[in-house]
Amino acid sequence: MPPVPDRLRDAKVSRAQFFRLMGGIAVAAMAPASLAACSTRPETTGAAAGGSGATQLSFVGVADQKTPMDALVAAYKKVAPQVSIGASYAPTDQVQTSLRTQLGAGNAPDLHVVYPGNGSAMSMSQIASAGLLADLSAQAWTKTIPTGFKPAFQQDGKTYIFSAGSSVIGAIYNKKVFQEAGVEAPPTTWTEFLDVCEKIKKAGKTPIALGAQTPWVTQLITYALVPSTVYAKDPTFDDKQLAGQATFAGSGWVQAMEMYLELQKRGFFNDNPNGTTFEQQTSMVATGKAGMAIQVSAVLPDFRKAASGPDDLSMFPVPGADDAAQVWIPAGVVVGLGAGAKSKHLDQATAFIDFLGRQENINAYAKAISAIPLTQDANSTIDPAVESFLPFTKDRAVPFMDQRWPNAEVQPTHFAVVQDLLAGRTSIGDALKKMDEAYKK
Amino acid sequence: MSVTSRSGSPPTTGTPAGTPAAPAPRRRRAGGRFGAALSPPWLFAAPALLVYALVVLYPSIAGVVYAFTDWSGIGGDMSFVGLANFRTMLGDDQALGSIGNTVLLTIAIVVVQNGVGLLLALGAHARIKSRTVLRVVFFAPVVVSPVMIAFLWKYIYNPDPHAGLNGLLGFFGLPGHDWLGDPSLALWSIAGMVVWQNAGYSMVIFLAGLEGVPVELHEAAMIDGAGTVQRFRFVTWPLLAPALTINLMLSTIGGLKLFDQVFAATNGGPGYATETLSTVLYKQAFVYGKFGYSTAVALVLALFVAAVSFVQIYYLRSREVAQ
Repeated sequence: MPPVPDRLRDAKVSRAQFFRLMGGIAVAAMAPASLAACSTRPETTGAAAGGSGATQLSFVGVADQKTPMDALVAAYKKVAPQVSIGASYAPTDQVQTSLRTQLGAGNAPDLHVVYPGNGSAMSMSQIASAGLLADLSAQAWTKTIPTGFKPAFQQDGKTYIFSAGSSVIGAIYNKKVFQEAGVEAPPTTWTEFLDVCEKIKKAGKTPIALGAQTPWVTQLITYALVPSTVYAKDPTFDDKQLAGQATFAGSGWVQAMEMYLELQKRGFFNDNPNGTTFEQQTSMVATGKAGMAIQVSAVLPDFRKAASGPDDLSMFPVPGADDAAQVWIPAGVVVGLGAGAKSKHLDQATAFIDFLGRQENINAYAKAISAIPLTQDANSTIDPAVESFLPFTKDRAVPFMDQRWPNAEVQPTHFAVVQDLLAGRTSIGDALKKMDEAYKK
Repeated sequence: MSVTSRSGSPPTTGTPAGTPAAPAPRRRRAGGRFGAALSPPWLFAAPALLVYALVVLYPSIAGVVYAFTDWSGIGGDMSFVGLANFRTMLGDDQALGSIGNTVLLTIAIVVVQNGVGLLLALGAHARIKSRTVLRVVFFAPVVVSPVMIAFLWKYIYNPDPHAGLNGLLGFFGLPGHDWLGDPSLALWSIAGMVVWQNAGYSMVIFLAGLEGVPVELHEAAMIDGAGTVQRFRFVTWPLLAPALTINLMLSTIGGLKLFDQVFAATNGGPGYATETLSTVLYKQAFVYGKFGYSTAVALVLALFVAAVSFVQIYYLRSREVAQ
């Protein structure tokens, strides 16, 4: 006979009694938790959040937003002490996964990261179309959005995202490496750019560090070149493409891809770019192993942290044409934030965004990420490294290409085909054909 | 009531020798079939089954519905699209390519992981002083997060000729490689890191099997003049069949739904070289915003894993019986 039932019998407890006893213990143990779960907890926190009537807002952002947001959340605490903002940050992929799950489940944070324009699963257009972003149009700062940037902020005439300004894509370069290679001034034409690369290569350094294993890095060289090869010739290219009258494969994108691969063919990239990460790319330029990296200005702080001194590095526009007057640059609205339309604290959440829209806060946010402020006053500062881009921003700049793409599939396709091109596994024609197919989905 | 009064005392009555004993009256369970369902072990399992049903079964079955819709994953707009998602899959190069990658990766993992696991088990089963320490060392990677393993191996697979694995190869005069950046190598490099992590798991299961092989059989075989190889072939190997069945099944399922290491190491790249069904369904849901289509891919993956596992276990169980 099995020992356990015998012991039960010895203890003079029947099986029925045993289960009644265990059931009673379980119910007793669960009762407080169940009652707590059924109770209607107040939406505002008490003493923990700063006293009676305090409101706790949640914000989920990407790592790039941490520095400016931490500072501005602390500043807001002085303006609105009854509001606490719990902020959390993570890499883009993780944020995208968790936020889309929360948005789908209806429990999104009060404030969260939003990408400008369209073209990404977390972009303003895609989330606003689902009715999940609050309309910010009544706020004063929205009246001063430059006309050229409105497609990045607005859908159907309503503003859904706050962003502190714009960043540019260009070459972040190591001044010492350039000096040692005998380069006296940044290049202004494509031929000069190739000459600079050749000089750096002869000096025994890698001219361009490329970390193409990190998917988003793959796109930056084409983004730097396409404004000159496509938009300088036809500023309405995006509209034509949306109307089905233009394609990647039948446009200056072919020339931009050819220029990209020419840099590889001439040995201007580090070995094995597909096996090199963004962090390795950063380190190579910061430590002087490579002359430059084609990057977005928002990552300048990362490069500076890795360098021995912040003044070792600067930026210049990548000249994508042989006529300096035909060189255009990409200048896109930086990643921003929006308020959840279904937030239980919608008024408080939008009030915080209104606070961010004050000129002094736009200045502080933009300064922290080396961006060009959305609007400027006498106190606005512009990172000296991006000053050489300012002459372009008036009439020779276009938003980052993905911000006008109609779906979230084109950009990852661009990443993949560039990796395939670098690996020699596809042709430019086939690569752009795949992007056209993704565009039409 | 005592135990001895029931089991220790000699029977006071009995049937005469040669007379068949009358069948003992069958004790009726209170409550009939319903009562049987409420009796142990079902009652003990019920809380766990309830949690499993709520946390796993219900969401899984509810999720199947989305495979027949065009839901983006956010917002309330959703239309029933019938089998359109499955038809799309048939023409989706990325999804079809990922099936090939998934199968190749699974075959590599199943073969190498179990081969290495068996060798490790045989080594750790030998009568050597350090065998307990060796078991711990070989099993240690299993308890580390797969994402951590992937980041660790990204350093080992550094393409720099003086770093990581390339540095070691260079020390022996061998050429280095771009382990994760070369499309023809990346899939096998991922297989390598998965095998490194999970070989210890297979080892433990094989070790359990080896512990169950009677020493007497080995002694008898030795007396009959069998050598080491013959004893393994004719004594150990047949008796390891149940352990092999479990190992093959677990490694096959693990390989078919591999995600963490691929996502952290290559994100499916370069190009689409390491895209697996799991990374495709992730990207469709969270990057492309096509939750309905993603669920269709997930459903196909689940059915595929179930079918392969069923065939595999049917074949291996029949093999165990034959041996």
